[in-house]
Amino acid sequence: MSEVEEHPEQHEEKLLDSLVRQARDLSKAMPGALSRVTVTAGDHQVEVEWQAPVTVAAVAGAVPATAFSPATAVTAAVPAFEPEAPIGHAVVAPLVGTFYRAAEPGATPYVNEGDVVEAGQELAIVEAMKIMNRVEADRAGRIVKILPSDGEMVEYGQELMYIEPVSSDTE
Amino acid sequence: MVEKVLIANRGEIALRVARACRELGIACVAVYSTADADSAVVRFADEAVHIGPPAAARSYLHIPSIIGAALKTGADAIHPGYGFLSEDPYFAEICAEHGITFIGPPASVMEKMGNKATARQAMKEAGLPLLPGTIEPVATADEAQYVADDIGYPVIIKAAAGGGGRGMSVVNRREDLRRAYQMTRATAQAIFKDSNVYIERYLRTARHTEIQIVCDSLGDGIHLGERDCSVQRRHQKLIEEAPSIHLTPELRAAMGSAAVKGALSVGYTGAGTMEFLLDEEGRYWFMEMNTRIQVEHPVSEMVTGIDLIKEQIRVAQGQPLTHSQDEVRLTGHAIECRINAEDPARDFAPAAGRLEEFAPPGGPWTRVDSHCRPGWMVSPYYDSLIAKLIVWAPDRGEALDRMARALSEFRVNGPGMRTTIGFHQRVFAHPVFRSGDFYTDFIDRHMAG
Repeated sequence: MSEVEEHPEQHEEKLLDSLVRQARDLSKAMPGALSRVTVTAGDHQVEVEWQAPVTVAAVAGAVPATAFSPATAVTAAVPAFEPEAPIGHAVVAPLVGTFYRAAEPGATPYVNEGDVVEAGQELAIVEAMKIMNRVEADRAGRIVKILPSDGEMVEYGQELMYIEPVSSDTE
Repeated sequence: MVEKVLIANRGEIALRVARACRELGIACVAVYSTADADSAVVRFADEAVHIGPPAAARSYLHIPSIIGAALKTGADAIHPGYGFLSEDPYFAEICAEHGITFIGPPASVMEKMGNKATARQAMKEAGLPLLPGTIEPVATADEAQYVADDIGYPVIIKAAAGGGGRGMSVVNRREDLRRAYQMTRATAQAIFKDSNVYIERYLRTARHTEIQIVCDSLGDGIHLGERDCSVQRRHQKLIEEAPSIHLTPELRAAMGSAAVKGALSVGYTGAGTMEFLLDEEGRYWFMEMNTRIQVEHPVSEMVTGIDLIKEQIRVAQGQPLTHSQDEVRLTGHAIECRINAEDPARDFAPAAGRLEEFAPPGGPWTRVDSHCRPGWMVSPYYDSLIAKLIVWAPDRGEALDRMARALSEFRVNGPGMRTTIGFHQRVFAHPVFRSGDFYTDFIDRHMAG
């Protein structure tokens, strides 16, 4: 099972970011285990494959999912471009809510730009209807960028921070 | 006054609500799951918020994300559409707590009318006729046996919390009752997290006739006539029409005023539908109420000229109804076909996939409410409705011919894609359907195989 989003009129300089984001969103959205992810800048494609069949539980207002046959990859042509250097791995919001950098107002932020974090370390919280949802580092590295300001409303999948790998000889 | 409406839904109804907002000069916010990132309503709306992954439980049913999206965008009202959170009193309550106008009835009224057992009690008190059956849930298989024997077979066992045609079993023979009772309870528990069921007489030769009502917050209510929804498959409606050819003006007025009286007796506000069963002698019984806009609302719009979505938004802001009962006039005949991405040859199994071709019909008095376009991915995550095809004509005969013509124009193709278009064409060619002399068992009796 696979899916590709087309971006025929994407600005060139945004294309790589967009491809990466599409691949990531698709890979997270899929109910089955990932079997392959391809983000090819020169060939201008995003390709995500995952295991099928998968059945999603029925919920009110929705019907049970139909199984698709696996690995029917579709490729979308997109304009050529010169990719920028990647800025790192993006940590995204787990749900819609208010982004907070610290446990409470005035407290020390969980992390600052330049900090080196471990996988699983708490980076921020996203509060939705009084529930505090932890945002954790899904890999180790250095926080190179924090995007939303403290107290800003963020949406699902919005990029919150970039983590750059730290080479072992500098650790 | 409402200035910005968040639409807590997807598909054709989300687009329908957005169109009404635009015409009223009200801003609208779409919410979308990852699967709907490039949907028609996302393109159309003034703003859009990504609320979660494709699974509805984490997006369109996830209350914190929807409330968060409303707060993020400053929406002061939420239209729930149909399905999803539209009949969730808790959601209506949460909206109120956040100072957001829920476009629908008050939470307490929704709770009372959303439960079939308490709704039956309330409507009995309001003087509406009910089929023989229980008001209180039936607690044991022994009691179910006793009640069913007393009512006489066939009976129908219904989940008190049920809806959308799910959680119902028809029992024709005494020896099948216990098993059906246990199964319906188990199903009700699994789907609705409430195993309460009640039992009533089942009418085989009955017509499903529902009355569209709208009530404002000033205590006024009107009805917009009826819709006949007798063409059903496993309690799922496929074709709806208005008016019903089986109602005299006197019967229409009687059922309409009973529906309005019942709704006003519980303090109902907004648009809603009272479902009745109608028999050959013109007797009718209250079945249940839908406390939301319905899929088939366009047929009532076509014969009355009243935009129901706009009316919902107006009364939610505290404005009075735009029409008095005397000003509601039924003109001509309207029919709706639900075009589903389903395979009639495989027991109407959902057939999702990418639409390579999507060419809806046009022409005079032909309306298509759809979110689809060529290239659109019909997602396996949500219901299979891809379009509603509605036609209007001065009389039923011409409406039938117009629908047959429109169906013949409708082109939907894609890998693995199947639709109900061909099935509808066979229904519209069937002499029994054309005669109008059929009941809720039409599909089983005349379209099997």
